[in-house]
Order: sequence, then structure tokens, then C-alpha cells
Amino acid sequence: MLARIAHELFWLGRYVARAEHTARMLDGVFHADLQSSYEDTRDVQLGWFSLLAILGARQKGVTREEALGRLTLDPSEPASLVNCVAQARESARTLRDVISADVWEALNTTHLVLTGPDVQAQMSAGPASVYRYVKERSALFWGLTARTMLRDEAASFLEAGGRIEAADMLLRMLRVALPAGEDNEIRRDGQARALLAAAGGFQAFRRAVPAPPNAVPAVRFLLYERAYPDSVAAAVASAERALEVSDSNPRNSAPVLRLSRLRAELEFRRRDDTDDADLIGLCEQVQRELALVDIDIAGRYFVGATATAATEVGA
Amino acid sequence: MSEPMLARQHAPYGATGFYDEVFEPGGSPRAHAAPLAFELARLGPDHMAAAGLRRDAAFVEQGITFEADEDGHVRDRPFPLDLVPRIIPAVEWTDIKRGLAQRIRALNHFVDDVYHAREIVREGIVPWELIVTRSHFARAAHGIRPPGGVYCHVAGCDLVRDADGSWRVLEDNVRTPSGISYVLENRVAMTRLASTLFRHYRVRPVDHYPQLLLGALRAVAPAAEGEANVVVWTPGPLNSAYFEHAFLARLMGVELVEASDLVVRDDVVYMRTTNGLQRVHAIYRRLDDDFIDPLEFRPDSVLGVPGLVRAYRAGTVVLANAIGTGVADDKAIYHYVPDMIRFYLGEEPILPNVPTYLLSDPDVREDCLARRQELVFKPTGESGGKGVFIGPLTPAAELETLAALVRASPARWIAQEMVKLSTVPTAMEDGTLSPRHVDLRPFAVFGEDIRIVPGGLTRVALTEGSMIVNSSRGGGSKDTWVLEDSGVPGPDDRAEHPAPQPVPPVLPDVRYGGWTGQQQQQQQSPGGD
Amino acid sequence: MNFAIRYLTEYAYDAPVSDNLNALRVRPATTSTQRCDEFSLRLDPEARVSRHADYFGTEVLEFGIAKPHENMSIDVRARVVTSEPPEPLERGWDQVGMASYREAGGEFLIADEDRLRHSDQVDEMVASVRRNTPIATLRALDSLVVERFDYRTGVTYVGSTVDDLLDGGGGVCQDFAHLTLLVLRRSGIAARYVSGYLWAAPTDGGSDSMEVQTHAWVEALLPGAREPVWVGADPTNDRLAGETHVKIGHGRNYSDVPPIKGVFQGRSSSLLSSRVTMSRLDPAASARP
Repeated sequence: MLARIAHELFWLGRYVARAEHTARMLDGVFHADLQSSYEDTRDVQLGWFSLLAILGARQKGVTREEALGRLTLDPSEPASLVNCVAQARESARTLRDVISADVWEALNTTHLVLTGPDVQAQMSAGPASVYRYVKERSALFWGLTARTMLRDEAASFLEAGGRIEAADMLLRMLRVALPAGEDNEIRRDGQARALLAAAGGFQAFRRAVPAPPNAVPAVRFLLYERAYPDSVAAAVASAERALEVSDSNPRNSAPVLRLSRLRAELEFRRRDDTDDADLIGLCEQVQRELALVDIDIAGRYFVGATATAATEVGA
Repeated sequence: MSEPMLARQHAPYGATGFYDEVFEPGGSPRAHAAPLAFELARLGPDHMAAAGLRRDAAFVEQGITFEADEDGHVRDRPFPLDLVPRIIPAVEWTDIKRGLAQRIRALNHFVDDVYHAREIVREGIVPWELIVTRSHFARAAHGIRPPGGVYCHVAGCDLVRDADGSWRVLEDNVRTPSGISYVLENRVAMTRLASTLFRHYRVRPVDHYPQLLLGALRAVAPAAEGEANVVVWTPGPLNSAYFEHAFLARLMGVELVEASDLVVRDDVVYMRTTNGLQRVHAIYRRLDDDFIDPLEFRPDSVLGVPGLVRAYRAGTVVLANAIGTGVADDKAIYHYVPDMIRFYLGEEPILPNVPTYLLSDPDVREDCLARRQELVFKPTGESGGKGVFIGPLTPAAELETLAALVRASPARWIAQEMVKLSTVPTAMEDGTLSPRHVDLRPFAVFGEDIRIVPGGLTRVALTEGSMIVNSSRGGGSKDTWVLEDSGVPGPDDRAEHPAPQPVPPVLPDVRYGGWTGQQQQQQQSPGGD
Repeated sequence: MNFAIRYLTEYAYDAPVSDNLNALRVRPATTSTQRCDEFSLRLDPEARVSRHADYFGTEVLEFGIAKPHENMSIDVRARVVTSEPPEPLERGWDQVGMASYREAGGEFLIADEDRLRHSDQVDEMVASVRRNTPIATLRALDSLVVERFDYRTGVTYVGSTVDDLLDGGGGVCQDFAHLTLLVLRRSGIAARYVSGYLWAAPTDGGSDSMEVQTHAWVEALLPGAREPVWVGADPTNDRLAGETHVKIGHGRNYSDVPPIKGVFQGRSSSLLSSRVTMSRLDPAASARP
């Protein structure tokens, strides 16, 4: 298929996944924050600060309300939820001939609601409802693409984008859950539990892991558990499969090979009982590797898709 | 017969002096149109009005709209398809078809001649100065002969019917004629919204156009049988005709590309795919020459592909339509087309022109300007009705301005006799019928030979008395029916055989209550078996 | 005269560019007063070069560099032999009105009138240079242009119009040529734009002439003995063209014969340096065995 279209599909997948996981992260930190002790105001600052930093958002001196508002509904904040949805909708608009009408309408409606008049009121009443709305609409998007899109290259690039972004966002969430230098175990465990719930994996964890949902087991679960579809390892494997299926020569494909190696690495590390400090390091390492996968993908499939021509008339 | 419907019309038929295609001057329907008139009367205005509302709703839902400027606001309005079809009997169509094919062949010869031997100039028939000053004369095309010698792959010559019922060519369109998507969509819509009207007619289908176009491009493409990669090249979604570009690409089953998808290496055109570069053999392009290649034409065009002309010159790619074809599109060149038919084909034109005057000669110019209230003045390089002054409909002050413009650059204008366009009954909002002026744009495809889609786009001026049919200025369209060769409509020979109704499988019994239900059953059976 | 010409153009891009496509009009033409004995083109990075003659008969060399690169150099070398054109005849205006003249002049008779603001000023020039013969008119026009306008670089650019020149009062050879063409055409004389190389005798009496770029002048269709002839005139230097003018090709205006025209892919700005060196050769030295 055309490189330009594949590029657009890949980014559509990424934006939808980014929107969903931003909503989950905001929801998670919001709830963890609510449950932390009120005397410990320093904690509140730390949670939001790290969130802002990890999302790449602007910082300055910021209160919880401000951070919440900015990351959810501020269209001028590149990392905000409303912005992710807007970007996804823009991509979908240029892809209207490729995606199904159902998928387009689902995204368009989501965008209209988030930019509509009622959303501010909902935020004041309780931001949880806004986050839930975005989570549900994302599920609708993936459900519709799974049912109404032909299982061809287009679906593969969409899937690959979504999975890579999911892995990346999950790694960011983990770094929020285990901030380096956080010594208080109870606080850390509490945050990890809240994030596990936010990621939607609490029930799955209970079924898979015969241990209490403390920081280390929870993080290991979200990193390594292949049977849990939203774990980093599962996301990496799905992305690898999607690209492998659509590449004409997967054995020679840099992104496929890199993903394959990453998947194997995660499977290998799973057998180790690594301790917390190493877990943080591993998360960062995997994130860096995913960034390289992104570059590999652009180099292999999207060459020229974003180049612009400059005209020069020489004298 | 149709008294109630006719009685409510604005003017009794026949008094207008125009040729109505359904009703004779006395008010009775023409032979081929009788079943249609009867059916319309039978349905009545209420039914037509309701069908009109259904049509609007359906088009809005499907996105078949166009941008209309209403009181300064640009709004998406449903495409105005009028539900009363326009019928052309088979025998009339045969003449139109032959006339069009003849004309397109002559135009094709002309384009080839202009960029090679210029024999028509040597013979003194067309002045060289005229050709060289046409805005679409492309010096870059000089000396290049495209595969198969075909330049006008897609042509749409606009036809009108005069007051005596005879067909004339109003204008030639060989640059980027558009509108075929409406022809196809209109037919689909009619079969859904006004299916009963089809009952008494055998209408020739139109949906094979995409296959015709694809076949023509494949036939001339420089590739082995069955290997040609054909694409549709669009300027992008911001172009007003984008819907049609995407539509055609979809129906032809080919890629829709934009400039950034194409690259020229070593005189060959490629498109960028996820599998690397894939060669392109034929491009159906919907861009004017001026924008296609910044190296040869406008250097500021970001819509173009650098090196495209180079590949074209090397013969490695077909461009439909060929570069420089627009020289034949010009309204001043139109004046010479009958002579072209005689010179290149040795035949008399089957379809006549509308009498047209070139204004470079001062005597002719002053004569025309003296009659400016009766004539139509058109700028030669434009299309789509832009900049046209219709004498009888223009206030005197504006005509003064026109006269000044014409005297300042006479080579840029032509004058034409006003044609009394024919009318066809058109449904009003309340469902009654009233005559409205129409023209016809048939679509021809030139590959190995010239094939013409039966009918074409009938454009109708929706305002009473208006003859401006362009959709951008208040026009609508009608489905055009060319009847099958049997001519007179036979009896209802497509009687509906009831299709065998597929019986849906019976769903397995759903037991509500599960165990409890069974228990109840057992209790009810008489004790002991 | 014998010349060795070297036209070296070098581009430096601040970021790698690719698919760099170029069309060159740089080769000296062969005419009744000029002969190109040798010609070579060296490109770096290397690329295959294709040739064709454009609509006006000028030779065009085209090439494309697909792979990413940060520099490009175009090195043109040629050897030319020129001779002094014959003195134009003093003939009246009768031939100019005839049908045969119109046929010979063709599209070079058409004055490009689009949206010219200073139309009156141009008409005034047309009136003031009118003489009894076309050749005298041509000479008068050459002088008038030099009188009224300064040679100034940096005030106009490749896309400048005659209006720009009249507004600013200064420009380069390209602008002077365009104005001259307009006045000639409005006077009913067919005229074409000429691109080429000019050897200007250096002040130190040496034999090397160095310019930054190619030169532009005009050719006017003047009455001849039996048929009209094209006569070269250089308004920038207030003289008729002679053996110091080496012609590349002609067109209606600059955009028909740009020496180098190119397009590349990439968001990059380019630094252009170009140099034309013409060396006058001793005829014996350049004679080929």
C-alpha cells in the first residue's frame, strides 16, 4: 500500500492508544492521589510532577486542579487528552477511504463530545467520568476495526501503531508507579495498586499471580505477562506479529527483527527475580528500544512519506 | 390525462418557444415519453415531493453533497438530483454518438498536429498566432508523441438542443472534464428512489464507465499485458472534485495518489509503497498542466511531481489526458473544429457548432458588440461558466464594462449566438412539474477506440427561465436515459418475477428459566406413564 | 575569437537532500556566427545525463541525483569560435508590416501585456526611440535603457517584472533585456530573449574575463536584403551583439532559457556559488590537429 497511507494508519493507531492510556494514567494518579494522606502534601506534588514530566508536558508551579485541567482538556497542551483525540480524528479524516464509516463516526463523535459544551461541567463534577468515556470510546474503536476492517496491511499498520504506543505508555505508567528514589514502601505499593487498577489489569493479576498486588509483583505482571493482552510483552509480541504479516520480507526487516529480539529479551528476563532498581532501569531500556523500533519502521515502510520538495530556480 | 399536474404549472407548455423534450407544443407527450408522463401523473405531486425529501436525506447521510455559497455562508447542500429523468431515444443517441466520436477523433488529430508538423497551420486553416497564444498551449509537449497517439483519453463535449430540436455542440472539454461520478450516483439513486419510473423502459446501463476508463489506460500503457499499474492522481482532499477522484479510483480498483506519493527516478515514475518503489505506467490526472511538474511548468507548484515531463518524454508513462491537450479546449479553437473534421477526416461534421465569432477582427468585433444584448460573450481560456456574459440576462451597465474588456483584449473573448436551450419537466418542491432548461455532457473514453457512456450528465438550471446550468451557480442534474435499441418502449417486459424469498432458518428454541422450566413440565404431566 | 569557457556552479545544502532533478541550458549553440568545438559536463555526485532540444531549439541537459547528498557541483566547459556578425542594413519599416515578416516573427511579436502598471511609461519609450529605420530604433533603445536605468545587483530577482525595473530604476541584464523586448514588440518588431556568455575585455589587458553568471541580451528581427534577419543587441552594454557574445539559446523571456533550473526533496536551504570564466585563446593554440 502507499507509504503515506500506511504512515497515517500507524499514527492513527498510536494516537488512539495514546488517548486511552493518557486517560488511564490520569485516572490512576487521580485516584491514588485521592487516597494518599492529606498531611503529606509533598506526595501530591511529586505524583503530578512526575506525571507531567513523563508526559512531556510543561511544568512550572502547578496545583493539582491545574495539572488535571491542563492534561485533560487544554487544547494547547500537546500531551493533553483532548489533543490526542483531536489528532486521532484528523488522521482518521484523511483515511476516510480506508477505514470503515463506523470507525470514522466513532472517532468523530468522541472528538465532538470532548470539545463540546458539556465536558467542562463533567470535569468539575468529577473527572473520572471523562476518563471512563475516553476508555470506552477507545474500546469501541478497536472493536470496530477488528470487526469491520479487512485484515490486510492497513489493519496491520493500525495494529502495530496501537500496540507500540500501548507498550510505551504502559512503561511510562510504570515509571510513575515506581519513581526512582521513592523509599516509602507503603506509598509505593499503594500507587502500584492504583495504577494496576487504572490499567484495567487488577482482576487479571489476581487470577495470574499468587501474590499480593504490591509494587514489584504488579510491575512484573504488567511487564512480562504474555497472557495479559495489555502487558508490555504482549504488546511487543502483537506488534511484531502485525508487521511480520504485512512485510514482504520479514527476515530482513529491521523493525521486525528488533521487536523479535525485544520480545525474546522480555521472555528471558521474566525468569529472573530482578529487584526494583533494575526494574526501573529495564523499563527505561525497553522504552529506548521502542523508540529505535519507531525509527526502523519509518525507515522501512514510510520512506519519502513525509519529505517535502523545495523548489529552486538557479540563475 | 395528466391534467391536474399540468394545470398547476407556471406556463402552459408550447407557449415558451423552447423545445420541450417530453411534451409537444400542444401539450401531449412525445411518443417515447408517453409512459413516463403517464407514470408521473399517476404518482402525483405528493409522491414526488415525498420522494424528493427522501432523496435529500439519503444524500446528506451518504455525504453526496457539494459546497454551496448561500448568502455568503458556505454550506454542504445535498446534491440536487431531479427525480424526473431525461430520455433520449436510441435512434437519436446513435447520431449523437457518431458525431461525438467524429469530433473527438478530429480534436485528437489537431493536438497531435499542433505539437508536430502543424499541417493545419501550413494549409492556412488555423492561424499559428492563435494557437501559440492559447493559455494551455504547452511548449513542453512539443515533439512528444504519447503511446498510441492518443491525447484526449477522457473527453466531455457539452451538447445543447436548439429550439428546432436539433443537437449542437456548445463547448469542448478535453482538459479535465468532471461530473461522471454524478452520472453514476444519479443512476443508483434513481433506481432506489424512483424505481417505478423504470418499469416501462429498457434503459442502457452506465456503470461500466470505470471499466472503460481502466481498459483504455491499460490498452495504451507501456507495459506488458495485464501488468500495467494505473493510478488516479488527485491534488488532494481540499480540491472541490476530490469526491469524484476517490470515487473513480475506488471503482476502478486502483490507487489514489497525491504528488508526494510519486517520484521520478531515471525517467521512470514510481509510487512509494510500504514495499519500496513500485513503477507506475499510467496516470489519470486531475490537475491542470500548469501544476504537474515544477521543473517544466509553474515552479511554485507543490502539487506537482518533479521530472514527470521527463518521464513522459521518455515514453515510460501515459498521462491521461496528455500534456498540452488543453490547446483544443479553448473556446476560440472551438470555432475551427468543423474545419478540423473536414481537414483531418475528410468528412462533414455530424454535430454542428453553435455559431461563434472570433473578436480579433475589428469589424466582427464591433458587429458583435453592437448586438451585445442578444449574444453570449465567453472568455476563451476559462471553463465552468466562469466569466460568461449572457446578453439578454445582463444589465446594460455590466455590458458596458464587458465592451471595454473586449476592446482592451479582443483575443481573449468570443461571442456566440444565444441557444434556446431545450427544456425537460422538472419536479418542484411541491412535487408539481415545470419546464427547466437543460444541457448534456456525455463522457467519452479514447483508448484503443472511442467509447461513449450512454447518456451522460444532464445539467438543469433550477431557476425558472435561467439557462445557467453549472452546479456552482444554482444548477442541478437529471439522470439521463438512453433507451435500448428496440426504440419504442415495449410492454412491461421486465415484469417482476417475484424472487424466491429466502426462508430464514428457524432459531433454536430458547428455553427461558432453564431447570425450573423443565421441572414445571414434569409436574404437569400426568403422574405415571 | 576563440574562447575557453568554464561555468562552475556549486551548491551546499545545510541538510542532506535527495531526488535533486536539474535541467541545464548551458551549451553554446552553433549558429551562422558561432561554433562550439568542445563541450563537457562534469557532475558531482555523478549522474546520467540525457539531452533533448526544447521547443525553441535550445539544447537541454537533464539529470537527477536520487541518493542523499549535501553538496552538488555542476562543471561546464566549452570551447567556442565566434565571428563578428555582418553589419545590419539600413532598411525602412516596410518589410516589418508585411505578412512574411509576421510569419517569420511568429510568437516573438506578441508583447506580454499582463497587468502592466507602467504601460504609459513604456509607450513613451516606444515613441521616443522611434527612428526612420528599425536598426536605428534598436540602437536608440540600447542607449535609452542604459541612460535611464542603473545596473544594480540585489534589487531584483529571478521573478522580477518590467514593472519592478521601472519602479526601482535599477536592475541586471535580465531586467534590461525584458524591458527592451517589450519596447521592441510594442514597436512592431519581433524580438527574442537570448541567454549566453559574455567576454568583457579585462581592464588589465589580460585574456581572462570573470563574471558571476551568464549574460542576457536580445535579438530583434530586422529587415534584411531579401528576408528579415535576427540581429543581436545588448542593452546592458549599449551596443549590438558581436563576437564577444556567445549564445546558448533564446526564448520569449528568461523563463524559457534559464541556465539552471532545479528541484530537490528536503527541507533545506542551499548556498549557491557560481562563476563563469571565459578565457580568450590564441587561435593557434586552440586549433585542433
